[in-house]
Amino acid sequence: MLIELIDVFISGLTNGSVYALMAVGLTLVYGVSKAFNFAYGSFFSMGGYLAWLLLVGLGLMGGYVIIFIIAIPVLLAVGYGVERAIVAPLRKRSDWEVKVMMITLGLALLLDNAYQVGFGARMKSLPTMVEGAMIMGDVVLSYQDMVIFVLSIGGIVCFRWILNNTRIGMAVRAVAQNPAGAQIVGIPKDVIFGATFAISTVMVGVGGILLSQKYFVSPTGGWDILVKSWVITAFGGMGSIRGSLYAAFILGMLEAFVGWIFGMTWVLFAMFGVLLIILAVRPQGLLGKWG
Amino acid sequence: MKKHLVILLAIVCAMAYIPSVQAADVIKVGVPLAMTGPYTDTGDNYWKGIKMAIDEINAAGGLLGKSLEPIRFDTQEFSPERVMQGADYLCGKEKVHSVHAGWAGWGQDVRAYGKYDVPFFCDDGSQAAVDVFKTDPEMYSNIFQLTDTGINQAESMFRVLMALPYEYPNKKAVIITADDAWGTEVGDTLARNFKEKGWEVAMHEIVPYGTREWGPILTKIRKAAPAIIHVEIVSAQEVITFFRQFMKAPSKSILSYGYSIVPREVVETMGKEADGIIGEVQTAMPTPEAPTPEAQAWVDRFVSLYNHPPQAGSWAAYSGVKAWATAVAAVGDETQHDAVIQYIKKNGYKGETGWWKWDDDNVMRAGGDVPIGHYQVQNGELVTIFTDPPTKPYKDFQFITPRWIK
Amino acid sequence: MAVIMAVIYGIVGVMPIFVGDVRFIMHILIMCLIWAVVAACWDLIMGFAGIFSFGQVAFFVMGAYGSAILASRLHITPILAMVLSGGITAAIGVLVGLPCLRLKGAYIALVTFAVHMILEPFLKGDMGRFLGTGGSRGILTIPPIELFEVTFSSAAPVPFFYLTLLLSILCTVIILIVIKSYWGTAFLALKDSEDFAMSLGVSAFKYKLMVFALTSFLTGMIGGFYGHYVGMLSTRMLGIDLFVTLMIMLVIGGIGQYPGAILGAFITVSLNEMLAPLGTYRPLTLGALVVVLVLLLPDGVIGLIRKVSGDEAEGAGVSRY
Repeated sequence: MLIELIDVFISGLTNGSVYALMAVGLTLVYGVSKAFNFAYGSFFSMGGYLAWLLLVGLGLMGGYVIIFIIAIPVLLAVGYGVERAIVAPLRKRSDWEVKVMMITLGLALLLDNAYQVGFGARMKSLPTMVEGAMIMGDVVLSYQDMVIFVLSIGGIVCFRWILNNTRIGMAVRAVAQNPAGAQIVGIPKDVIFGATFAISTVMVGVGGILLSQKYFVSPTGGWDILVKSWVITAFGGMGSIRGSLYAAFILGMLEAFVGWIFGMTWVLFAMFGVLLIILAVRPQGLLGKWG
Repeated sequence: MKKHLVILLAIVCAMAYIPSVQAADVIKVGVPLAMTGPYTDTGDNYWKGIKMAIDEINAAGGLLGKSLEPIRFDTQEFSPERVMQGADYLCGKEKVHSVHAGWAGWGQDVRAYGKYDVPFFCDDGSQAAVDVFKTDPEMYSNIFQLTDTGINQAESMFRVLMALPYEYPNKKAVIITADDAWGTEVGDTLARNFKEKGWEVAMHEIVPYGTREWGPILTKIRKAAPAIIHVEIVSAQEVITFFRQFMKAPSKSILSYGYSIVPREVVETMGKEADGIIGEVQTAMPTPEAPTPEAQAWVDRFVSLYNHPPQAGSWAAYSGVKAWATAVAAVGDETQHDAVIQYIKKNGYKGETGWWKWDDDNVMRAGGDVPIGHYQVQNGELVTIFTDPPTKPYKDFQFITPRWIK
Repeated sequence: MAVIMAVIYGIVGVMPIFVGDVRFIMHILIMCLIWAVVAACWDLIMGFAGIFSFGQVAFFVMGAYGSAILASRLHITPILAMVLSGGITAAIGVLVGLPCLRLKGAYIALVTFAVHMILEPFLKGDMGRFLGTGGSRGILTIPPIELFEVTFSSAAPVPFFYLTLLLSILCTVIILIVIKSYWGTAFLALKDSEDFAMSLGVSAFKYKLMVFALTSFLTGMIGGFYGHYVGMLSTRMLGIDLFVTLMIMLVIGGIGQYPGAILGAFITVSLNEMLAPLGTYRPLTLGALVVVLVLLLPDGVIGLIRKVSGDEAEGAGVSRY
């Protein structure tokens, strides 16, 4: 019994670490610019396809280190470009929130189907980062999960460091707290909006690479990620990075334990049930603030 | 001004609805398949078979001197009104003389195409579709199923599992299926069979599509250590992730994938990694060696056209077109739909492996010259080890005990 | 607004004279009329009331299942079953609305979308089967609508078309009345400045809850109608396809630009059929179109019409500056 508990706990921990990475990106954009990005899942797939293209399509040598070195700037550029091209022009409208949702939904449709046309409807499998597993008695700990865990947490720590210690990070926080005030002190608001969108694209894209090498990448695989990140950010409080972290691990564990005890079909019910309860008690989520 | 614009717009939209002009020397054939959305890949398998048959007939001078012209319709995600729209488009507007589908709506298609009298061939493989047929066999007489139902296929899977030349260490089975009609139909039938034979079903789990983290389920499996794990989810991503996570610390279990072995990705992405998994395909051409020279010739033609072995459904859909064309040639008039239907019902069709016969429910029951093929992945390719019914080993191909059990 | 609506329905109303014998086109027209109601409801709740409800497809499917079960299990006459089912859907709508109204923007979208996400496993699962949803098989035999001893079914498309037209006009006129009434004004006030409107005594809570009830009632009822029309139901309507298509109707027609949603429904469905020869490129083109349209025509086709005819004041989503 104990061994199974440990097994399920580990499963929850790995789920949680990846969810954390995804959710932090989504919550960041919402926190800073109040824009909800429906194409978030498609950027997840973009990371996966980018890695596939480089590793399998072009047969690039050098493994995942090279992939990250190439993919991160590409994702940054894509994120920044998308924000400037389609989100920014809508900002001056009074109903821009709903317009942003719609345009990003259109973008998601466009990207997902572009993947399908370009790469085919079938899933693509990536070479794994590491093979093998650590087997301690009955407890199985795969090296792949460990790498995902370490890189996800590393990514978040790195992101926290950027936010707290760099000029751009501080500017991002300033815009999130008070956009008008930030502009008065000379922070270029539009650039910051673009930058946060770009950073969030990198986070989800990197998540896409990490998860695709464990699972697969497919044209519509991003939707699941979008919904889960969405639940986690709302649960933790949109805009709150710490909240998202807690929420990611709570929901990761919830998924693992509900799946283990009641069965996989109940995971979705449980997730939304818990979300509803938390929102009934705290409409702004675990650590969220209104406004 | 405002009004003019609206009217102009409405006229532009209305233009889309003007019916097209018919050509005289072609026979239109309807092909409703998923061309976009999650079922695109399966739709493609059927299309390859249908296109091959049409091209062959046209190359040989056409049917009754006329050439066949496929009219495609995208069924997308098989929502009820989409299925109905397909029937109304193909049979109502385009006035096709036969319809060749694959997965077509699992009963919804019977309702939609039953309104018309055009021969309709599909690969639903579901009891739900047969149940709809039975409500009014007269009205639905134009519906032909190219494969047997999930229930009968599951019975066949069970027979072969029991016939494997392998000593099961215990009598415990685990069944994991998707939450669709097919999965539950197969899962329930297997569970019943296991229990009747005195086996214990240690776990019978229904999972939603999109599941890719199998940790909690594998934890339970490792504890149960069953002799058989049956996974029935006809979608590559679920079965591949299951297999890879299972292999991190495998239990000594026969891994039976049933129909989930068919998505081409399973063998294409995993290759030799998938060696040892068993599964079944109904109305399928046994590989790597076909049962008859004609069948082998068909496989060779298929491979030269598409550069890969035929997938589930391709041959069934191909045979549907050929069965219809044979009947039309015999009747001598493609517009005599009833006569064509009666001809197929009465005579069946002689295909590459032998006779196809439809039963009173217009279902191509497995057996005879077209049995269900049971496969094992060996050296990265599907190898037929058994055919059923009747259960017998196929040629000289042997079941190999999977590497994780040795 | 009424003029545009009259023109749209007028043109659609005479279509059977030209294409009445082509069942395929009649089917598309009937579906257009049904989607027009769903899109109009969505526009009312999202465009006017400013509630990001993403549960409209779910309400539609609930209504469809509810009416089908009432009619085939309890043998209630379909028309009554539709209305009852609309009532049930409205009750669920209120239940969903209650927690939502304490929430903001993207949170509401999530909670309502959660209803959509959960509906499929619910309908397929044991609870759904107990209620009579037929699990993953769906319900394959739903009785057609009977009115005054006349059976309206998909087998005779022209009479059915006019029944649908009638119902569609009825529903959209109700929505029009709501928008033109004190409610509509209240919503605009709430959207512009919730605090100010509330200080004037406009109760956001009451109106928003009522709009939840009304839109889910109409959506559920038209869903029930849909079920009796196609005669079969499955959970496959809950795929992303229908959701996105409805969203595109709003984008093309113009959000908060009533009756843009109705016009959007006709244009989108026509466009979808015209793009069909593109095959795999169809959804790709649709996606690109949405992006381009939101940027270039943010108020949709109706916005364009208004701009051309120089009558911009009616729009709800006019520029802030």
